[in-house]
Amino acid sequence: MDAITRSGAASARRLTLRLAGLMLLLVMACLASLMLGAGDVGPVRALAVLAGQGDAEARFVLGSLRLPRTLIGLVVGLSLGVAGALLQAVTRNPLAEPGLLGVSAGAAFAVALALLLGATATTLRVGVAQLGAMVGCLCVLGVARFSGAGNDPVRLVLAGAALTGLLLSLTSLLLLFDQRAADEIRFWIVGSLAGRRLEHLVAILPSLLLAGGLVIAVARPLAALALGERVASGLGHRPGLIRLLVIVVVALLVGAATATAGPIAFIGLVVPFAARALAGPDIRRTLWFCLPLGPLMVITADIVSRLLVAPSEMPLGVITALCGAPVLVAVVRARRMPSL
Amino acid sequence: MTQHELATRDLTLCHGRATIIDRLALTLPAGEVTAIVGPNGCGKSTLLAGLSRLHAPKQGTVLLDGRDIQQLPARELARRLALLPQEAIAPEGLTVAELVRFGRQPHQGWLRQWSAEDQQVVRQALAAADVSELAGRPLDTLSGGQRQRAWIAMTIAQQTPLLLLDEPTSALDLGHQIEVFELVRRLAADGRTVVMVLHDLASACRYADHLLALRSGQLIAAGPPGEVVTTELVRRLYGIDCTLIPDPATGSLLLANVRRAGRCGDA
Amino acid sequence: MWREVSAESQARQRPGTERCERGAGDIVAPPGHWRLAWQAAGGSLPYSLLIDRRAFVAALILLLALLTASLAYLAMGSSPLPPQAVPAALVGRGDMMAVFLVQELRLPRLAAACLTGAAFGVAGCLMQTLARNRLATPGIIGIDNGATAFAVASVIGLGVSLAPPAMALAGATTAAALTFGLAAGGGVRGYRFIVAGIGVGAVFGAITQLLLAKVHIDTANAAYPWTVGSLNARPAGAVMLLAVGLSLGLGAALWLTRALSLMRFSDAVASGLGLRVARRRWQVLAVSVLLTGLAVAVAGPVGLIGLIGPEIARSLSSPRGVPVVASALAGALVMVLADLAGRILLSPIEIPVGIVTAVVGGPWLLWILLRPASRNLA
Repeated sequence: MDAITRSGAASARRLTLRLAGLMLLLVMACLASLMLGAGDVGPVRALAVLAGQGDAEARFVLGSLRLPRTLIGLVVGLSLGVAGALLQAVTRNPLAEPGLLGVSAGAAFAVALALLLGATATTLRVGVAQLGAMVGCLCVLGVARFSGAGNDPVRLVLAGAALTGLLLSLTSLLLLFDQRAADEIRFWIVGSLAGRRLEHLVAILPSLLLAGGLVIAVARPLAALALGERVASGLGHRPGLIRLLVIVVVALLVGAATATAGPIAFIGLVVPFAARALAGPDIRRTLWFCLPLGPLMVITADIVSRLLVAPSEMPLGVITALCGAPVLVAVVRARRMPSL
Repeated sequence: MTQHELATRDLTLCHGRATIIDRLALTLPAGEVTAIVGPNGCGKSTLLAGLSRLHAPKQGTVLLDGRDIQQLPARELARRLALLPQEAIAPEGLTVAELVRFGRQPHQGWLRQWSAEDQQVVRQALAAADVSELAGRPLDTLSGGQRQRAWIAMTIAQQTPLLLLDEPTSALDLGHQIEVFELVRRLAADGRTVVMVLHDLASACRYADHLLALRSGQLIAAGPPGEVVTTELVRRLYGIDCTLIPDPATGSLLLANVRRAGRCGDA
Repeated sequence: MWREVSAESQARQRPGTERCERGAGDIVAPPGHWRLAWQAAGGSLPYSLLIDRRAFVAALILLLALLTASLAYLAMGSSPLPPQAVPAALVGRGDMMAVFLVQELRLPRLAAACLTGAAFGVAGCLMQTLARNRLATPGIIGIDNGATAFAVASVIGLGVSLAPPAMALAGATTAAALTFGLAAGGGVRGYRFIVAGIGVGAVFGAITQLLLAKVHIDTANAAYPWTVGSLNARPAGAVMLLAVGLSLGLGAALWLTRALSLMRFSDAVASGLGLRVARRRWQVLAVSVLLTGLAVAVAGPVGLIGLIGPEIARSLSSPRGVPVVASALAGALVMVLADLAGRILLSPIEIPVGIVTAVVGGPWLLWILLRPASRNLA
């Protein structure tokens, strides 16, 4: 066995170990999410339920409140983390994040508009949010590409911030019109996992499965695209098609996550950032690491948001912004912007 | 124009922890053109920044007529010493005449914004740098050489006896380089002391009266180019072997048969 | 070596060796300027001022527009008055109801709109010049958010006894220190600095949300319009303080005009022309932060005024100078118009002025950012 394959095998083993460690952490986070909470069902009573016993109240709290919440956190984290990694890979920009680029804000605006026009069904909301995410995504990327700003990571973020600000104001404006929509949307618009039911999860599952299939199809060509457009075409891929597919996947994922949990920024920045630090630059490995990291971050943030201002709750977006913004600054401050 | 003398004593300049210029003592001859040459990263530009107070010394002093320039008020210094940095950026849409008028700033005040003297000096500066015809043109519409002459006109309008130029010809083609060098000679003929950082040893030999050769922050030769430039010096500076021949027309030295030295670095 | 110093260049006039002999009579102002000159009492050199014609005309136009907008502001609303009744009501004549409407309800709010608009406009103009980037306004680099977070802490009574203006100032200073501190490695110029500011702004935005989540829902609802920017809930005394701060800040900005015009060059050039770059930068930053903090204390983060105001001022004025006065007037004009629109568009619902400016200013910001040949101030 020559040196290259041996060191390759060693590093693969190290990566597998790390991935397994992350999975373990995620399982622990899920258990913690089930056991901790604002109510008076403490860890001991929760453990009893998990062991198959426990009283009715504890069973209700776990089964109908904390379990859906944890599952939704799992799915939302997965979607946002993967969407962030994909968007960063396709724009070759370490700052491209669905929340920062206006994709989440597009989804939120679309949902607000739909509510205003009288929509109530959960499934409709998901589709509308995905459409909004798609429009937001295409807006920023399209305009940036057209003007040449796409080459400058930082200007792209500024454009996204501007679009986000605009869309959020428009959303607030819409809500001024309609008290009912405002009431319905108030707890959703700040981004939170509280009060979500399992049917919300069921509504987004089909589109997530579709997105998952597309990710598997697009991962290999995307890794080739990282070497540059010319190289990718030389290897027999079609860059335009790959890019379009990735945008569709990102819109599906972000739209689904936003429809469920509301706009949550910075997950798509922090998770791929950490994944790259653990796994190196190859997009396929990064995606593997995003799988446990995304849910881990969302669920941990959710637990913190429950406990920090108990008995009331805090929007999840606050926690993610508090840990995401320093990462943003760190990426920008790095002397050489890591190019993707 | 009265002659002013710029000198350094024990000058040490640092970037963070790295020492760029190490305990340098030199005197720049008044009324002459001095060229600072040396390989990339030898500290040429840092030295110029130190001489113009852009870069505060870690140790030692820069003396202008015997006074530490750190002690001089900013405007006072700007009336004695003008600087043209390497990447000078001007506001968008500024015309040549407006740029040159900025050169009068050190002489003006909030209540003395435009005097007869200002007017005359600006007119003379435009003429001296040969940009009178371009006065109304925006800076961004000029060619590289014209733009550089406009910047030099601004420093002329400062009416300083000392003029520091950081690689004034680095981005110019040969024709534009000659325009700038001839302007520098005219300024020296008017009695100004000019100090410029140059990349090209041959241009330095042709247009400077005095040469400072720097290597790793140390002065390794100083004097008239005809006396100090030797094949030995060229090898120590750039790690190349060459033959030096006098220009048939002007007598200044030219580098011929240039090749990599057998051994790089110290010889 | 140079051996051919020509007789021609020897014969050239030596600048500086010859004093000007001509009298002040035939001094021509540079193109596009008026020159005012008068003899000093002591018989020393005459004083002279240059006035940029285009900047002067721009300021005049903006002033007229502001007066017209103010008249409209006083006349329009839920119970409109005929425009000719407004001047009478201002001096206390005419219909009692009209006098009450104008003097008690609309005039204080108009004053607050003008003052905050002018403060945001000047603060934006100063910050843009400082960073040589037209996107670097206090609103975008997080200073507004910092001021808001601190002021909200004060409003919802988090055991902090300081008044909102003082807290807003403290917040603005903290955010500015953070943004500039974090950007210290890369310098204050360029876009990275701005993204660092966006990050700082996001943190303070989150802190504001956190504070609102901790208090009772009614308190939070009361503080809410103010967190998006509104002239409806003005803390008592804050307007007075802003008026004082604005007159000081505007004076300081005018005093710094010449330094500001040099700051638009690269640092080495500015310093070569006799500018103490570092010291002046601190002063400009301090003025900008002061104005931002005081204005946020009155109206909340209506930061996009700081972008739109100077933008209008700059397009009207000449590219030669830094339009401080025009930015103040344009900021006030935009603020008055935006608040007027917010009051009457969806009447009886009132749209917070921060939302109006965001809806107008957002596309503007995008346009600046994405213009194909985007050359920013530099």
